[in-house]
Amino acid sequence: MIAILLDGIVQGLQLSLMAVGITLIFGLGGVLNLAHGQLAVLGGISTALFLGEGAHPVWACVLGVLTSGVFGLIMDRTLLVPAYRCAGEERLLLGLLITLGLSFVVNGFLDVRYPSVALTLRLPTPSFSVGDITIRTASAAVALIAVVTFALLFAFLKGTLLGKVVRSIMQNEVGAALCGINPARIRTLIVALSAMMAGLAGVVQGLFSSLGTELGNEFTSFALIVAVIGGVRSINGTLAAGVLLGIVNAFASYYIGAYLTLLILLATAAGTILVRPQGLFAFRT
Amino acid sequence: MSVLVGVAEIEVAYADIAVVRGVSLEVHEGESVAVIGPNGAGKTTLFKAIAGMLGLRGGSIRYQGERIDRRRHYEIVRRGVVYVPAERELFPQMTVLENLELGAYASYGSRAERLKFVLELFPRLLERRKQLAGTLSGGEQQMLAIGRGLMARPRILLLDEPSTGLAPFFVREMYRQFARLKREGLTILLAEQQVPHALSFTDRAYVLENGRIRLSGKSSELLGDPEIQRSYLGVA
Amino acid sequence: MTPIRLAADRVAIAAITVVLALVPLTLGGSDHYLRIATLMLIYMAYAVAFNIIFGHTRQLFLCLGALAGSSAYLSVVLVIRLSLSPWATIPLGIVLAALLGGAFSYVSVRRGLGVIFVGIVTLVFSMIFHNLILGLRDWTNGETGIETKGLGPAVLGGGPTSYYAILAFLVLSLVVYHLLMRSRAGTAFQAIADDEFAAELAGIDVTTYKVLAATVGSALLGAVGAIHAYYGGFISPTVYALGSVDIVVLVTLLLGGMGTLLGPVLGGIVFTVLDEAVRPLGRLNVMVYGILIVVLVVTFRHGLVAMLRKRLKIPLP
Repeated sequence: MIAILLDGIVQGLQLSLMAVGITLIFGLGGVLNLAHGQLAVLGGISTALFLGEGAHPVWACVLGVLTSGVFGLIMDRTLLVPAYRCAGEERLLLGLLITLGLSFVVNGFLDVRYPSVALTLRLPTPSFSVGDITIRTASAAVALIAVVTFALLFAFLKGTLLGKVVRSIMQNEVGAALCGINPARIRTLIVALSAMMAGLAGVVQGLFSSLGTELGNEFTSFALIVAVIGGVRSINGTLAAGVLLGIVNAFASYYIGAYLTLLILLATAAGTILVRPQGLFAFRT
Repeated sequence: MSVLVGVAEIEVAYADIAVVRGVSLEVHEGESVAVIGPNGAGKTTLFKAIAGMLGLRGGSIRYQGERIDRRRHYEIVRRGVVYVPAERELFPQMTVLENLELGAYASYGSRAERLKFVLELFPRLLERRKQLAGTLSGGEQQMLAIGRGLMARPRILLLDEPSTGLAPFFVREMYRQFARLKREGLTILLAEQQVPHALSFTDRAYVLENGRIRLSGKSSELLGDPEIQRSYLGVA
Repeated sequence: MTPIRLAADRVAIAAITVVLALVPLTLGGSDHYLRIATLMLIYMAYAVAFNIIFGHTRQLFLCLGALAGSSAYLSVVLVIRLSLSPWATIPLGIVLAALLGGAFSYVSVRRGLGVIFVGIVTLVFSMIFHNLILGLRDWTNGETGIETKGLGPAVLGGGPTSYYAILAFLVLSLVVYHLLMRSRAGTAFQAIADDEFAAELAGIDVTTYKVLAATVGSALLGAVGAIHAYYGGFISPTVYALGSVDIVVLVTLLLGGMGTLLGPVLGGIVFTVLDEAVRPLGRLNVMVYGILIVVLVVTFRHGLVAMLRKRLKIPLP
């Protein structure tokens, strides 16, 4: 029982990590990034490439994450500019379509250029024991990374001035401009940050299984679902929703099988959107 | 007194319909000027244009002699032109203190000092400093909006209908603080529907109707003008 | 609607019929190209459906393939399992698709969901559909799919007969589109697309009209889905996946022009030509579609019809 719960929490933390990037970009930029999964895949694939060049694993991961960040930055400064010129629903739609197109471009490119590159990370010790329970090192590592990342993110948003500026734009873009804040520059920062989180989620996936191009769309879909259930503007919500879904998934898979669980989760997602569009956990940002 | 803000023959349009046309006005340093007029006259549009939130279809706006009508809004704030809109546009899920902090984002100088000044001016805000802005009453929100604007160390403060929806007691209180700010040398441009307050507080005033300036002059004179009295002061 | 607009529509439909009818004659008897042309007609019909749902009432249904696939699978599985005639099962499929689409629309409008949330809900439905098909492998054969050769109506068996039968269906859809858009519903759609809130205030029953558009569009999707299944000779989750149907329709309408009569047809022709041109690139074609979407959405948003309207100064339908 405990083992399943722990497994669920780890899965959940990973889901939250995947999803938080979507929440950040949507809350701040008003754009739904459908290329999110591709950013994760880019992180994973570039890490694999760096590893292939003989880089130390830790450095390879760092560089991989940074690559995603750079890509996100370029995306914000070039492709998303037409979307930022609009507001509200127009911006959402345009951003959605542009990132959708981008997801195809990245998928197609990676498929052709690096068709067999996949990232698999192995840790020196596969598992260790705490009392009666055997814990996979990978799970512990992922949990640790996720927790630290979220802690840093919260500290940044609540504690630093820049973090408050970010939150202010999320709460009222007009108000922020009145304070002399240039939303575009902050947006670029957040998009780059979000891309790096996607890249991190991708690299982390490499600890569990091999991460290849084909996982891109799945990533985006799951990230979307978690983000929407948690409240697509709320970072607390995304964290809570991810962990909750991870736990539910772990227990349900164990008792009723993975396939049925997936269907139930999907149906829950659809149901949540219909019943409570602002998300189950829409706390303050 | 030098001209701080000079608006020359501007035209502002919303979706092809001219809302403000051929409007010129001047605000001198240290002055307080009122813009009065009925609902829909274009006061907010005028203010938004000066603040750089709307583009001009014609004419120019100068601040300290420099053209600002092509500049982005946040650049204008940094130069000292601070706009406090009627809708306030606060950050509802941040505390009073955080809202004020952010107001100082674009300004130089000691934030702590400025904060002290604002909290002294509005003791209510000091009391409620840890409260979320979204939970404040209308009057308190208005004070916060003005306080946030003041945090940016403005040379000129554009107040758009600050008395809207406020109880008379609050309005009096607020104008007392305006008077204090005026004494300290702050230039104020005020749009109001509450004409008596606006005219008694300011030095000069413009009357805006249907997007054009109909009248202008010393506030004290306008107070005595029979037409103004009829249209805006409810005197038969 | 003014007489000129009505006439313009009719002329357009007639012209389309004639032009498309002549296409097989230019293909030099090649079976391969005939098949490509027939599939082009099918995708044009998909685009007409999406045009009604999204082009006119802004309901972002990202589940076109899933709706079409639901109809197709229902129809095919019933034919195989219960030995029913396809003519009996196809209507059932259409009804299923119409009910699903109408339901999504109804619930979304009632809940006041914005465009994005409709998109996400329907996207989730696509995933549910995909996984259902994979999971119910006893019925659907899962990933491998089902062969449908010889199962469907004889007229969909292949060759020029099928081309003209499907062309007739396409023309029928265009006529339905025309009648719908030139009726009172069409004016309501226009108002809703312009400003939903204002339309509501003006007394237009937004709910009814949006659900109507979604239902008609989904029914059409169901019909095309079934036709696609029987003509194509094979169904599988991939055939009705997001990347196979939705993306193609999106590019087609972006190319041709949303909310127009000629949009799906012009877009369909250009897309097919492009698709063929890009074929030698192998799997890079996905990348080309992506670039196309981005470029179209940013620069050419209103499509060919809008551009031709401006250049030729004729109000093309």
